[in-house]
This record gives sequence, C-alpha cells and structure tokens, in this order.
Amino acid sequence: MMPEVEGVASRARPGGSRGWGGRCGGAVWLAVACLLALRWSAESETLLLLGATVHPVTGPALTNGAVYVRDGTIEAVAPALDRRADRVERLDGLHLYPGLVVAGTQLGLVEIEAVRATRDTTETGEYTPDVESWAAVNPDSELIPVARANGITHIVPVPSGGVVAGQSGLLALKGWTTEEMMRKRPVALHVNWPSLELEFEARERAGDRAKGKSLAEQAQERRKRLRALQDFFEEARAYARAKEAAVGAGSAGFRPVPAWEAMLPFVRGEAPLFVHADEVRQIEGALGWAETNRWKMVLVGARDAWRVAERVAAQRVPVLYGSTFDLPAGDAQAYDVHYRAPGVLHRAGVMVAFAAGGRRDASNLRNLPYEAAQAMAFGLPAEEALRGLTLYPARLLGVADRLGSIEPGKEASFFAADGPILDVRAQVRRLWIAGEEVSLETRHTRLYEKYRGRPRGR
Amino acid sequence: MVVWLGLAWSGWAVELLPAGHRPAPVGWHALVGGKVVVKPGQVLEEATIIIRDGYLVAVGSGIEVPAGAQVWTMQGTRIYAGFIEPYLVLGATNVAVRADSAEAGSLTGGVGGYDFFGVPGQGRDPGGPGPGHAVAGVTPERRAVDAYAIEAKALESLREVGFTVGHVVPGRGILRGCSALVALSDGAPNLAVLAPEVFQVVAFEVNRSRERVFPGSLMGVVAVVRQAFLDARHYASERADTALRSGRGQGQGGGIRPAFNTALAQLGPAAEGRQRVLFEPGSALMMDRAARVARELGLEFALVSSGEEWRRPDLAKGLGATLIVPVDFPEAPKLPEAEDWQQVSLDRLRAWDWAPENPALLRQQGLEVALTSWGLTQRRQFRARLRSALDRGLSEEDALAALTTVPARLCGMAEQLGTVEPGKLANLTVVTGGGYFTPKAKVREVWIDGRIYPVVSEEAGSAKSRGEDASRAGVGGEPKGRAEADAEASRRQRVARSPLAGRGPLVEPPALLIQNATIWTCGPQGRVEEADLFVRGGKIVGVGPQAARQFEEGAGALRLDGRGWHLTPGLIDCHSHSMILGEVNEGTLPSSAMVRIGDVVNSESITIRQQLAGGVTLVNLLHGSANPVGGQNCLIKLRDGAAPEELKVADAPLGIKFALGENVKQANWGERFTTRFPQTRMGVRTFFVNRFTAAQQYLEDWAVYRETGGREPRRDLELEALGEVLGGERWIHCHAYRQDEILTFLRTMEQFRVQVGTLQHILEGYKVADEMAAHGAGASAFSDWWAYKFEVYDAIPYAGSLMRERGVLVSFNSDSSELARRLNLEAAKAVKYGGTSEVEALKFVTANPARQLRIEERVGSLEVGKDADFAVWSGPPLDSRSVCLQTWIEGRKYFDRESAAAQAQALEQERSVLIEKAKQLASAADRGKGAEAESDAGRFWRCSLETEHDGWDRHCTDE
Repeated sequence: MMPEVEGVASRARPGGSRGWGGRCGGAVWLAVACLLALRWSAESETLLLLGATVHPVTGPALTNGAVYVRDGTIEAVAPALDRRADRVERLDGLHLYPGLVVAGTQLGLVEIEAVRATRDTTETGEYTPDVESWAAVNPDSELIPVARANGITHIVPVPSGGVVAGQSGLLALKGWTTEEMMRKRPVALHVNWPSLELEFEARERAGDRAKGKSLAEQAQERRKRLRALQDFFEEARAYARAKEAAVGAGSAGFRPVPAWEAMLPFVRGEAPLFVHADEVRQIEGALGWAETNRWKMVLVGARDAWRVAERVAAQRVPVLYGSTFDLPAGDAQAYDVHYRAPGVLHRAGVMVAFAAGGRRDASNLRNLPYEAAQAMAFGLPAEEALRGLTLYPARLLGVADRLGSIEPGKEASFFAADGPILDVRAQVRRLWIAGEEVSLETRHTRLYEKYRGRPRGR
Repeated sequence: MVVWLGLAWSGWAVELLPAGHRPAPVGWHALVGGKVVVKPGQVLEEATIIIRDGYLVAVGSGIEVPAGAQVWTMQGTRIYAGFIEPYLVLGATNVAVRADSAEAGSLTGGVGGYDFFGVPGQGRDPGGPGPGHAVAGVTPERRAVDAYAIEAKALESLREVGFTVGHVVPGRGILRGCSALVALSDGAPNLAVLAPEVFQVVAFEVNRSRERVFPGSLMGVVAVVRQAFLDARHYASERADTALRSGRGQGQGGGIRPAFNTALAQLGPAAEGRQRVLFEPGSALMMDRAARVARELGLEFALVSSGEEWRRPDLAKGLGATLIVPVDFPEAPKLPEAEDWQQVSLDRLRAWDWAPENPALLRQQGLEVALTSWGLTQRRQFRARLRSALDRGLSEEDALAALTTVPARLCGMAEQLGTVEPGKLANLTVVTGGGYFTPKAKVREVWIDGRIYPVVSEEAGSAKSRGEDASRAGVGGEPKGRAEADAEASRRQRVARSPLAGRGPLVEPPALLIQNATIWTCGPQGRVEEADLFVRGGKIVGVGPQAARQFEEGAGALRLDGRGWHLTPGLIDCHSHSMILGEVNEGTLPSSAMVRIGDVVNSESITIRQQLAGGVTLVNLLHGSANPVGGQNCLIKLRDGAAPEELKVADAPLGIKFALGENVKQANWGERFTTRFPQTRMGVRTFFVNRFTAAQQYLEDWAVYRETGGREPRRDLELEALGEVLGGERWIHCHAYRQDEILTFLRTMEQFRVQVGTLQHILEGYKVADEMAAHGAGASAFSDWWAYKFEVYDAIPYAGSLMRERGVLVSFNSDSSELARRLNLEAAKAVKYGGTSEVEALKFVTANPARQLRIEERVGSLEVGKDADFAVWSGPPLDSRSVCLQTWIEGRKYFDRESAAAQAQALEQERSVLIEKAKQLASAADRGKGAEAESDAGRFWRCSLETEHDGWDRHCTDE
C-alpha cells in the first residue's frame, strides 16, 4: 500500500474531503475551530465576561474590561459593554490573558520520558520531511491538562531527530480527538542545523590516536553535511518544478514521491522553516543560507543569537528562544547571559517568542511563562515578554489573525488568573478555548484532593 | 683544587668476555679540559675528571692524568652530573612480563573478598588470576624492576636529551607497585638496576570501563587508597601476632585463620612509613588531596605534579613534598576555521598560556622540583620545553638541580648520583656549543657507569630536525622573519590572568549596616519592613528597626542604604552535585559508604559564581543515587576563591546519601544491568538490613576489643560510616520516591533505632506525610518535577505544601546546577501550589534546609548571633520579576551585579587576547612544521579535571 499523501490522495478522489479539513493552497488552513463551535452549539451562542483586567496584548490593559464572544469568536472588547448574552461571567479581581501559544514542545508526543514505549518524539533517518508530528499526539495524555492549567491553550508538537526532522502542526489543548484539536497543519518544517562543533579530543579519546578523526577530517565532514542539507532543498525545488511542468503537461507519467511532496509548501514559501540552531556558527550559517535562498525562516533554540542580533534583525528573522534557562555556554560568559539574551534581541529589533528548551519540556511546559519572566527581570520589556508567549508565536505560525491576543475576530481562547501570569505565585482560575470553558482539573489536583482528604493521625 | 678518592693502580676490574665478543674497554678514563659543573652553582673551568671502573675518582683542575688512563679531550664541552629522569613510565616500550588487563577475559576466578568488592551480580573485576587484592587496580606487589626490559630506541631517546638514569615507575592502576632506579645503559638489565624498590607508586586513576567496576569515580579511588593502607597495616599486625601464626589463637575466640594477601603484604613497608610513596594525583586540586591523605595515613611521600599548580599556588605552597614536574606544555593548535576559536574555552587557553610558567611558580612557592620528560609525545621536545620554562622564570640553577641533585635525593641516591664529585657513579652529561640550556648547544655524549654513550642521532641531525628545532620558538635562537620574532616575543609573555583573579570577597568591612530594607528574617520576627541589618565580625548583631543604634561609623565600617531592597537569609540548597571533581557517584557497588565528597570538592568550578548570583550561600553536596548507599556528604559555603578545605562548613554535622527505587535497582540502566543486587524494592530493604546488621556487629567487635583487648579488628571504612549512622552522629539523606519504599525504609531504620534526617525528592511523600512527621524525617523535595520516569507519575507540585500542613519539615532543593540559580522561584511554587504563605515558603530554601542539615544554630535565618549570610533582592524574593543584587557570606560580599558584569567583561577580553595569541603562535609554528602541527596539539585539548563538568547541568545521575 502506498501511504496516503496529502494532495495526492485528494487528486485521486476529486472533491474528497478528509474529515474536518479543507485545503487552501499548499498548506492546510483550518478555520475549523469556529466551524466546529457552530456545529457543537447548533444555535448562535454568546458569552460576556465582565470585571476582569483585560490584557489584549496588542494594546494597553483595560481595567474592568468586557469581552463579548459569539460562537467561539471574540466579537467585542471594550472598557464597558452593555449587551445581553447567553452567559455572563463576572471575573472581578482577575486578569484576563489570551491563551498561551507554544510554538515548539514535545508535549503530546511523550508521556514518561524514561519509558521508551511512551516516547514518540524522535524518528530515525536524516531527511524525513514527510514525518508529521500531529499524527502521534495523545489527546488523553495526563500531561496536557497540567500544561493547560497554567494558561497554555495551543501547542506545536515538534518532531526531533535527523537534519530535516519532519513537520509540525498547531493544536488546541481541547478536543476529543487530535482532529478536533487541530488548528493548522503543517505550520512548519523542522530543520536541525548540522552541528559545527569540532570534537577536539577525538584523537585523545579514541585511545589509539589513529582511530580518532583529525580536526581537518572533521572540518571536511562538516562541510559535507552542510552541502547535503543545501542539496536536499535544491532537489526539493527541482521536484516542485518538475511537478509543475508535469501538471502543465497533464501529469502524464508523473509519479509522486511522498517526501518531496511534503517539501512543497516549504520550498514554495507557503510555510516557514523552523531552523533549530543554538551555536553562533550554526546560526550564522543558517542566516546566510536563508538569505541566499529567500527562505521564510524562524530560528529556534537560538542560544547564541544575541551575538549576531543585528544581523538577525536585519534579515527580519523571528526567534523562538529556548535557552533562557540554559547555563552559560562558555566559561567566560556572564552568569546571566541567557537571561539577558531575549532583551538584547528585542532591542536589536528582533521579534522574540518563547519556546521550551527541551529538557522536561513536556511535563513542565507549564513553567514556560517563567522563562519569559526571567527575561523580563533581565531587561525584556514586560509587554514584550507577554507577547513572546502569545501574539508572537501566533505570528510566526501564521495564525495571528486567529490567535495570540484578545481582539475582535480572534478565537475566544483566554484565561483568567488572580495575578500577573509571569509571576509564579499567580493562579489560573478559569480558562476558555474557542469560547468553551475548560476544566482546570489535572492528575495533580485529583491526587492532591485525594491525599488531602486522608484521615489524619494514623 | 684536586680531590682524589681513587688509589694507585690496583689491577684490572674489567671482565674477560668469552672469545668472539668485542672485548670490554678498560674502565680507566681521564676527561681533560672540559668545563665541569660540579653541582648547581659550582663550576670548574678547564678541569679534569678521572673515572675508574664506573666511579668518579678525581675531579679538579690541574690533576695529573694517570698514565694508564684513556685520555679524552673535552675542550669546548660542558660536563654535568648525569641527568636523572625521575618519572619514567615505560608503558608501551617495556615488554610486559605479567599481562594484566590484556588477559582479563580469560581469567576465571578473580578474587572474591572479605569486603564489598566482589558483589554478587556485579560486573567481574578483572583482578589478578592468583591471590591478590580484590580491586584490579591495587597491585602494590608489582615491581617495575621485574618487568624492566627497555627498548634500545627508548634508551637512545633518553640519552639524547642527556638522561643517564631513570626512575622507572609502573604504569597501571591505582596502587601500582614499586618503582626502581636504573642506569640507562645498554646491556643486561641486571647490571642496569641501581635500586630495585624506591617508591610505592599511587595514581588517582579512575577505571572508566563500561563494566562499571569499582572504583568508578575519583572519590572511590581515594577511598580505595585509604582502605588499602589501613588494611596493609592491619595485615602486618596480624602477621606479627605470634599466637595467630602458631595457630594457638584459632578456635578459642581468636577468630578465623587470617587470609594470605600478597598485595597487602607488599604494601606493608609503605603503610608503616618505611617505604616512601609517590602520588600521581592528576590535577591541581587532587595534589592537595593526595598530600592530605598521605599525611592522614602517616606516609612518607612525594608528588607528581599535574602541571597545573598555577591554578592555586596557595595549595601548592602547602604541599610539603618534593614534586616531579612535567614540561609537556601544550602547543597552540591550528583550527580549520577562524570561527572555530569560538568553541575554545577560556580555561583551555589559560592552561596553555600558563603551562610553561608552572615550574618557576612551584620554585617560587619554595618547593623542591625535579623535572621530567613524562607526557611528551616525543622526548626530544624536552629541551625546547625546558627552554620555555626558563623563559618564564625558572633559573638555570634550579633547572639543573631539577635534573640532577633533586632527583638524586628524591630517589635516595644522593650518595651516588647528582653531582660530579669523587665517589659517585661516573654518570655525566656532556654538552658542546654552550650550556645545556642554550638552544644551540648539543648533547654530545653521556657517560653511564663509566662508559661513554655518544649521542649519534643529533650529531647526524638532518636538515629537518634542525629546522624543527628552530621553529619551536624559544629554541631556534635566531628566528628568521619578523613574524617569528613577534611570535617568539609573544610566547615569552604570559597574557592569561590567574584563575583566582577577580574572585574572593568584594568587600569585607569589619562592620556593616544596611538600613531601611525589607527583611525576611525567616526567624521569629518574620518579615520586617523598614528594618536594619547590623553585622560585625561576620555575625549578625542586630536585626530590626532598632538595630542601627548600636552602629558606630569609622574604621572601615560600611553603611548601605537599603531602601527598596529585600533581604533574605542566604539560600541553602539541600541537594546539589555541582562542585564535585570527577563523577558524582561511586555507583558501582551497592554500598559505597566509605566514599567521601569531601575528598573531591571542586573549589574552581564556575558553578559557584553562578549560584552565588542566585543568592545561594550554602550547599549540601551529595552523591548520585545509583546505589543504596552513596557515601558521605559535604557541606560547603560558596566562598568563591577559597580552597576546598576552606569552603567546607567547619565542624559540619555528618551526613550520608542513601537512595531507593528505580535508580538503585538499575531500572533505567539498560538491558545489561540486570544482575547486581538489589534489582527490586524488596531487595533494597534486604540490603539495608544486611548492611546495618554488619555495622552493628562491627561496632560490637570494636567495643569488645576496647574493653578486653585481643586481636584488633580490621578497620572497615564502609562499616565505620554506617556505624556512625547507628550512633546517630551521621544523618541520612535518602533519595526516596514511592510511598511504599518510603514507609519500608522508615520502618527498617526504626528497627535499628535510627532516625532518618531527610528524605530527598520524596515525590510521594505527600501520601505518607503523617508517617514521616511521626518518624521525624524531613522532606527535601523537588518543587514540581514529575513524569520523567515511572515512579514519579504520581508526583504533584502540591506535595511541599501538603507535607508542611501535615507537620513535616519541608525544603525545596535543586539537584541541578541550573535550577540552583533560582531557588527563590522554586520556593514560590509552594505559594502557587497549596497556598503556603510567602514567609513560610521562603523557609523552604533557608531555615528549613538549615534544620535538615542540623546547622540551624548558625545559618538559615537572619537572627542575632547567626552567620551574616544573606542575599539582597531588587523586590520580593518570590516575585519572578525580582533579581538578586548582592550575596554576602559571613559579612563579606561575594557577589553583586556590577562586579559580576565587570568580571565577565574582563574574562571575555582576556579570552580574545588569548585567542589572538594562540592564532599567532599556531601559525608561526605551522610555518615551521607543516603537517605535524596537529599531532602536537593533543595536549592542548586535554580537559582539566577542575573544569571538566562546568558546562554540564549535573543532575543526570540523580533525578
């Protein structure tokens, strides 16, 4: 059986629609959320939130603001609103924030790190653009409610492994199935920029010096790896051209290749490349490559990007920063080098969003706001820190028209907290995704309640 | 001046060889007209040396040449006492007589032990096939002399640089065996041996095999050394016990027949101070450790330098022993791309730039230094490297002593070697073209035992080898081009700063007053607004609104305006693996109670500064959790810049790391690890019962011995530590996860009347909080980690609050070099999850860990009489927007943001200067050598132990 491939399958079955998804251009764009909301509620349904300090993120906070929602979409945001609604909720004393959007995480792909059977994060193979992360998200993961309970409403589960690891999609943390959770796919192709690190001690470690690779040999291999990456994208472009020509000529004899098909939206510039690179040599290499090829690129991880902040800004490459809590990378670096990095990037004019650094990111994704908070304590303006968790990730995923702020026309995904969300001490009290309130109960609250109720003094 | 020792003609001493051999020459020589360097600082011009039968019989000017002597014209030469190579590790050049690890696969028995080394299920220790020590690396019975069979090529390479005698040391293991002193002459090894047993050689060498054989960590190695010497002493006393020898003690309460042990028998003389011990510790900090262990054991000792004593000259000064110092200075490497220098750490560059200065620095500390060619990839580099050392301040006199008199004394042969004086062995090093230290000079010949060994290879030196010499800046003498001259000048000038630069207290005022701050005392006063903190002599003398009244200006007293500041006690991390040299866990044996973190504290780790910047002042350094009993903990204060011993909290209560659950049963180690006991939580309990029973009996044996005398029990450092636990002196810090194992452990300890100090991480502690509170065990928890392995699927972030509500003493720890930098925000999670008040939550990282470590009388709160350890914050300490501004320990400021920024800038600056220098020298060297450049750079890449783990977030062994 040939695997079913997007585009290929739909050509074979003209007019065939796959579940909720429609196709628009190369990327699948789904304005599904509101369609679904319509379907669920049958009739138009309205919700009015009153009394909260509303943080639209795109503008100044409104004390005692009002938010009016119809069918899962925000219809109005104002200092005061006198409208009737099916439901009216008072949120006095609370802060209303747009749902946090995490543009890169392993959440959904892993349950328990140490148990291999529960890990679906990393595929083998160097070039696997046709690996799709959303295929393996477990909607019933116990980790999902835990992340959601601290305000995270949308995530992008990222495939790891190899050079071109695969593609990711955007999912809301609500829905009975992955299809119901899906918002957009693909949102990005994940490229792990080959490591340029030389193994200085290779020969010493090998014991037998002859077995270790010399620095010159390593440098040669390094060049080969980079060349292979560039060639891969050239080949993908060539495929795109060949396909266009074949389609123009009636497609006679054209035989699709799933991996190259997967590359089409990206070589056509319809969706961005998420280039994972931490070290400054990698970042500079990726920037040069993107410039030459005019790729739409986002730097992910980007530990050392602050070193070349001006260039990143000049090329208008957004950064999905994942290193705020990394230890300094060099022994001459300041203790706070990575705390300060987002601020440095911002001042240079770079758009900085936050992503989890990797380690434990699935189980403790809830702590992501505190990475932004640390960046704020070390120089990033407060509103930028908040945007880095909301509006900016939405922008670099190409969904800022639907997510990332509390504004009319956007998906009604937001939450109310009893303090600033960047403060550890703040509690999320209520949360809505696409207009529907979601329980904040988690495995943790259940166990807490259970053992809090254990009779004392045995 | 004429000194005669010899007599008149007294007949031939030359052996008549069988026909067919080239006959031996007459051993009577007169070396006439050379400049004789009798000893460092004493030179005879135009002198004559008379040699007879291998001895010097006369040395002086105006000596009449005996008619029977063969006359050698030495005009234009300089004659030194024959050089001694003090650390000749033959390694690949000697033919192994007894194979060890090479045949390990075919060995069947190994030795099972009286101790823990032969653990059931543990990977087999490839010990010797016969009787011996249970640890493969403990082979004091080996003698280098038994395997001495050096290759002609190696001999020539030694003589080529002037060596005439070598101190041959065994090259493998920890307690390696006896060294020997040999003449570097050709011919029968029997004739070459000068002294068959010189030193017992000990190296802190870690077995890094995949089989995880004990000892697999540096601290384990130190433990092995300690125990082996104690055992050797015990063994000797047992052997000396006549009652035992005759068998009369047996079967009548005298105990079982003592075992034979060749290793311990051979170690006896060293253990009793009758044979000297030579330590090769491998790093600057371990040099100090080796000296301390040697003194603790009462050993006579010398040390092999790591080459990096420049890291801490203060420690070197206190070594109190002769040092054998290498000159294997690293060469600047050539990197493929200029950007690749970004990847090179400051520490590597410093190590490179400092290295040639190390010998001079050691002399400046007043230490006796012998120089060795050990470590060089090619021995002929020796003179060039030596020259570099001279260029960096080593005097020629010291250098000569380091090759002659010092090693002669070191090897106990000062009567026969080291100077050109009558009565000594006729060992000479003859140089033409100037003094030995002049680059252009050549070693023309050496004399060994009165026989000449012309140096051929250098004489016939090809154009290539001459060119090479020239290119090794410092040797060439006349650098050709401008670039070479610049490189040469640059090489002589050190640009690296001392790693101690910019460390240590920033200010240490005799008195300090901070006014109008918000003070979170973590004591009975709670949080006080607009309060003052008054410190004198490192102690708090006043806290609160009234404290300022006692303050008097003057005499360096410091007054600070604290408006807007929040002061908290210095944060205490109850579970850290950060500042540890080598592996954090001796995870090979199920019990490594004898292993001590205190042996391997890394005072040079940059994690100290990183954690100070997060307000941390005191850290509980613990082992990993790979085994049920990890070992003895160490409490340190982060007094950056201080040496390891000074970092330690004086008279700190003792502690020991225990562990339960998945890690100790090797659940996540992979399929190869399925045999070591225990493999289940059942077995963990069984194991503890076994060890504590053994410890009880051990204490009983000693009690009986102290009361009634008789045979002295063997000191067992593992059981001794567990005995301290039984006695209540040593407190258990036990890594524990699941509620069943927690309860089982508490009950098991109760069975032995032991109260558990803390349960560490204690993820399911909330399920049995009442039982923990009733037992009195504290909880040192993660704030919110979960789901990373199966046994933490039920971990909840509310655990800290819930346990506290139920009466458990709770702290939050980092277990991570990274997380330790923001423990205040970890404490804030107790507010978020479970609603603990901010004042109480802050105690999770201050007062509570202090109580858990039994040091609450001294630290953990801001109260009168306690150590002035505190942190200054820009806002409320639990607010994520607050930043740590300053950190003080005992009234001294160790961190503030401005100084940290300035220091970081200075470091970056130093690094760029060093990179420029390295590039310059690498390209200069490259012009001279071409393709050879990289092979010489190997030493450059060797990572120093002190910085090996600095970039790591060290917690992987313990989550």
